[in-house]
Amino acid sequence: MIQLKTMLNCIDNSGAAVVECVNVLKKKRPATVGDRIVVVVQKQRNFGPDSTNNVGIANKVRRGDIRHAVVVRARKEMQRPDGSIVKFDDNACVLVNKSGDPIGTRMNGVVATELRGRQWSKILSLAPMHV
Amino acid sequence: MATSSPILQQLGCFRSLLRPQSLTQSSQLGRRALSTVYSAKPEPQPLPANLPEQFIRQLPLRMRPSPERKTRKVPPPPPAPKCKDPIGAVQEAQLAQLDPTGERMALFDYRRNPRSVKVGDILRVTFKNGDPFSGVCLSIRLRGIDTSFLLRNQLTRVGVEMAVKVFSPNVESVEIVQRTEKRKRRARLYYMRKPKHDMGSVENLVANYLRQKRSIAGKKTGGASKRR
Repeated sequence: MIQLKTMLNCIDNSGAAVVECVNVLKKKRPATVGDRIVVVVQKQRNFGPDSTNNVGIANKVRRGDIRHAVVVRARKEMQRPDGSIVKFDDNACVLVNKSGDPIGTRMNGVVATELRGRQWSKILSLAPMHV
Repeated sequence: MATSSPILQQLGCFRSLLRPQSLTQSSQLGRRALSTVYSAKPEPQPLPANLPEQFIRQLPLRMRPSPERKTRKVPPPPPAPKCKDPIGAVQEAQLAQLDPTGERMALFDYRRNPRSVKVGDILRVTFKNGDPFSGVCLSIRLRGIDTSFLLRNQLTRVGVEMAVKVFSPNVESVEIVQRTEKRKRRARLYYMRKPKHDMGSVENLVANYLRQKRSIAGKKTGGASKRR
């Protein structure tokens, strides 16, 4: 249930840590895993060991940037076709550019397998784990 | 009247006298009561028997002969089933198909089977597509064919919960990794979602269990494991 003003964790190395949803795309209802949203970067990731390795990547986005993102985890439970239900403890997203490619090069954190059915296999292959 | 002479206009008050008698009578008739004389509806004239087809369409609709009414065949209602509880019967049939030995039911029926899975146990579920999921059992929902259990785990420090249907054909096996040491006093351990009571990741326990299982299986050369 991600909608206007929802704060999400950003789990890639694009430089954003916390983002706020400002729009849900192609949908008249709250977004869930696999949906594309528009976000504002609210908190930047501080310069960690990542930035020393690769300065260019670490600050791809800045605070106040408006970006597209894909929801990869949702607190709202979702039902699989076989009747099982999956839910996470937080809402998380990955920043993507207009054409749908992820901005970051690495991801940390588990994502939902529902991304595969929604043509986000690229994100799924970046993720260290999926449920 | 406008063209008539002014003398005639002034004599207008005598006009009623000048009117012919028959007209005045009709005006009196016009002031009669609301009740009218009843006249019966005229009997419909029978149409000539040998009226050609093309003439019928020229007649007004109300005069056309009505088409013969089709007699529709109504089948008799089927005999009422003698089943008192059809939903129960369907569920039994499904259970007989999905769980012929009753093993799964026994594994989760904590009301009847003392050796069943209890809330607080750590379970490992393997699905048909190969990816397993393990976690603490927070609740068991006994609903016949819809029986399900809720597992909670932490993967990459993010809490993940999964409710699995016990009789889903996608579930290949359910293993008890570790039983709870002490019987839980609650039927649903939703308090374990709170950070104070959260168990954290159970991946280490599961990895240990799998290692042990493999070693046992190696000694016994593929002997019976805890798998059910």
